[in-house]
Amino acid sequence: MMPSTAMSSPVYKEGPASMPFNSQSSGEATSARDVVDAVSPPRSDYLQLEGLAKAFGATRVFQDIQADIAQGEFITLLGPSGCGKSTLLRSIAGLTALDRGSVRIAGEDISHLPPRKRGIGMVFQHYALFPNMRVADNVAFGLRMQRVEREARRQRVEEVLRLVELEAHADKYPHQLSGGQCQRVALARALVVEPQILLMDEPLSALDARIRRHLRDQIRDIQKTLGLTTLFVTHDQEEAMMLSDRIFLMHQGRILQQGDAEQLYTRPVGRHAAGFMGHYNLLDARQARPLLGHHGEQGQVALRPEALYLVAHGLDPVKSAELPLNAGPGCHGVIRRRRLLGNVVRYEVACGELLLNVDVLNRSARHLLDDQDRVVVHADLDEVQELGA
Amino acid sequence: MKGLRSASPALLWLLPFVVVFTAFQLAPLAWVAVSAFRVDEGWGLGHFHEIAASPFFRQAIGRSLEISLVSSLLGLAIAALTCHSLAHTQGPLRRWMVAFTNMTSNFAGVPLAFAFIILMGANGVLTLALQRLGIIEDFNLYSKAGLIIIYTWFQIPLGVLLLFPALAGLRTEWQEAASLLGAGRLAYWRHIGLPVLWPALLGTLTILIANAMGAYATVYALVNTSYNLMTVRIANLVSGDLFLQPNLASALALILVLLLAMVTLIQQWLLRRSYHVAER
Amino acid sequence: MSQSADTVTMASVPSGSVRRRWRLDPHRLVVLGVFTILALPLVVTLGYALAGHWGASLLPDSLTLKWFVELWATPRFQAAFVRSLLVAVGALALSLVLILPVAFLAQTRYPRLDSWMNGLILMPFAVPPVVSSVGLLQLYAGGPLPLVGTPWILIPTYFTIVLPFMYRAIANSLRAIDVVSLMDAARLLGAGPLQAFFLVVLPNIRVGVQIAIFLSFSFLVGEFVFANLLVGTRFETLQVYLNNMRGASGHFTSALVVTLFAFTLVLTWLGNRQSGQDLAKESAS
Repeated sequence: MMPSTAMSSPVYKEGPASMPFNSQSSGEATSARDVVDAVSPPRSDYLQLEGLAKAFGATRVFQDIQADIAQGEFITLLGPSGCGKSTLLRSIAGLTALDRGSVRIAGEDISHLPPRKRGIGMVFQHYALFPNMRVADNVAFGLRMQRVEREARRQRVEEVLRLVELEAHADKYPHQLSGGQCQRVALARALVVEPQILLMDEPLSALDARIRRHLRDQIRDIQKTLGLTTLFVTHDQEEAMMLSDRIFLMHQGRILQQGDAEQLYTRPVGRHAAGFMGHYNLLDARQARPLLGHHGEQGQVALRPEALYLVAHGLDPVKSAELPLNAGPGCHGVIRRRRLLGNVVRYEVACGELLLNVDVLNRSARHLLDDQDRVVVHADLDEVQELGA
Repeated sequence: MKGLRSASPALLWLLPFVVVFTAFQLAPLAWVAVSAFRVDEGWGLGHFHEIAASPFFRQAIGRSLEISLVSSLLGLAIAALTCHSLAHTQGPLRRWMVAFTNMTSNFAGVPLAFAFIILMGANGVLTLALQRLGIIEDFNLYSKAGLIIIYTWFQIPLGVLLLFPALAGLRTEWQEAASLLGAGRLAYWRHIGLPVLWPALLGTLTILIANAMGAYATVYALVNTSYNLMTVRIANLVSGDLFLQPNLASALALILVLLLAMVTLIQQWLLRRSYHVAER
Repeated sequence: MSQSADTVTMASVPSGSVRRRWRLDPHRLVVLGVFTILALPLVVTLGYALAGHWGASLLPDSLTLKWFVELWATPRFQAAFVRSLLVAVGALALSLVLILPVAFLAQTRYPRLDSWMNGLILMPFAVPPVVSSVGLLQLYAGGPLPLVGTPWILIPTYFTIVLPFMYRAIANSLRAIDVVSLMDAARLLGAGPLQAFFLVVLPNIRVGVQIAIFLSFSFLVGEFVFANLLVGTRFETLQVYLNNMRGASGHFTSALVVTLFAFTLVLTWLGNRQSGQDLAKESAS
């Protein structure tokens, strides 16, 4: 629908990790250690993906992947399964061959290097811990391959295990650990060799909800402490919004939209983006006319469920101070279903031929509406996203 | 007695199994273990002395061990290579090969010996072909080399069946993770691939050795009693045409069982020195 | 280990080599090579069985089915075939009756029995048939149970050698259907333990048991050592018959070998087809 989005408007969140020191020359190679020592200022084009494309036979996995990623930035590749995000990650690591395009780290083209020479750390969805090695040996493996001295090795392993809070489990085997612990070992194993880039392929999706949240915060803390440029693949919208400096929203092998959490959530650029973020109501402009007034004649519009307002039938909407300044005309409807999501109540409201999701803050049980209650729905016209044809 | 019965009448269901298993598995072994020490009307180590002193029996033991070890190692190596390649092969070829090894693992004994006579006997197709090509002058299937070839042949499918799950269980992610951490192909196999496979390799080797040491039908069909192996000697002592010596047969059979037990002990010892097998 | 083709995929390569990899893939070569080695004796035997005459030449002179016709028309072969079937069926029936209750109790009531059994079923591997024969020949040659020389000794003996396959197959099937919950559910619905076993458990493990039966069957039809040492020509089974035919024409024995292998093949195929269907059903549900 919007093939040019990936190329245009690289909007940056001006976070601490991506301070715009763009002027730095691109010929100078930097390593992760330099970043930690803060010798050179971070650069905004530290990791460059240029025209990456990959197909398996006739199936295009991804194409026209174009992005500049700043040093220390935390990027999430977000998208439904099968959108090509994992394969893209594997291609950057060198585990899957690219058909076209180049990957540059600090200006140096690494596309033709084998994985072991790329200086890239990776955390896999199912940990990929070596089952024959204890935790400490798993973590030490990369250092051993670099022929680091035994004593130095021991110290660095100890340090990084302390960082992931696993120093007490150094002598255990992977099968003796829980899933969350395994993934922290995998993280430690990737971190200990001080990679230039850290890649994470759905590292949290095999874990249960509580551990997932805890580890998510831990990953973000560690990443910030080390100033590590990170690409994180997930299909979980909430995860992406909590973690990222920027989110790359992927669909069918293309980056639909790049931006920070707020931009993606409040200003989706197309139907797919709107469909994936939040629980947008996707409406035909013509159908939506009773709700929006003269707003738009053709194409589609997207409306977040919290940008719709319910007024119980019979109440005076003017007296109800809850309505936004730029409210649309009221549209009469009936409650079809009520779902309690905790602090939010989601109503399914039938307004003529429209079926709308409306989120209301769950202030008090007394104000809950019931099935078949008659209501008037108002839209906040400032929050309407026109998606075009 | 009454207490036991009322406590668990269900245990009565085990009785037929226990009786038959005892009578036809445990009792024969026990009989062998006891009668091996039965000398004339008394007890003693006479039969073992006789075996130890006889070059003929010593040769049988030596050849059994040699052929078993060589064919097991060869079979294991070929099976491991096959499994490794199978794990990297997709599509119908892989399914076919697995099904085919399944079938050939049952093709042993007398029919196998006959098939090999046709293939590699004095007038065998392969023998003639290789002679015409000038690769060999002649080939004696009824020799040590011939037996090792046949034994290896029947070890391969068994080895594939036993090893394939382990090799298919090697996750590609391990190699990917290792390669990102700086390990080349050799380093991967040295530090991860082989150590992970080690228990399966050891276990398979043990079963292959036991399989070869106990094999009798193939060699009997091939050369009757004229090639000197432990199983041939044992069978000949209890069913030959000449006078029978069941107690001596028992002694030799006991030695065979003890050799197999020793192989298992060595395997267990090596296993314990390898990485922790998951304790569950 | 062979130098793998995956190393190619590790670095980016011109896309033309992807197609070339298929032809030169060393893994396929290895598989095909081993397949050839394993198939060679079988193919040659088949050729010999179909050859009118095959002297000291590389290829047979003519092709014919006469050896098969002659073999199948031989009464001694037919009798041996029937004997082999009878013994195998008898042994499998006995095995089922003996093993089912043990496996069931081990999976439901006595978990320690399962670990016991897992040890016990290793015995047939540790004690070769020749060794067992030495004991069996002495124990059942005379005395209260003079079984040697009759098929009756083969049936319980064959039970001992199929025990490992059968026990594992049945125990695995029982575990796969979560037999404890099934029994509980049946009992809550008013079934007695025996009713629950026959109406609920047995139908659900049927497929797994059938696979084990097919595989054990082909294994038993191929059994020679016990048949020859314990019974011999007094109750001639197929394998013993084949061995006794060693003096006959090579074409004739080849036809016999091919028939035996075809029989094994059908049984294994039936077993595998069952397991394939079983898997398909499992993945569908």
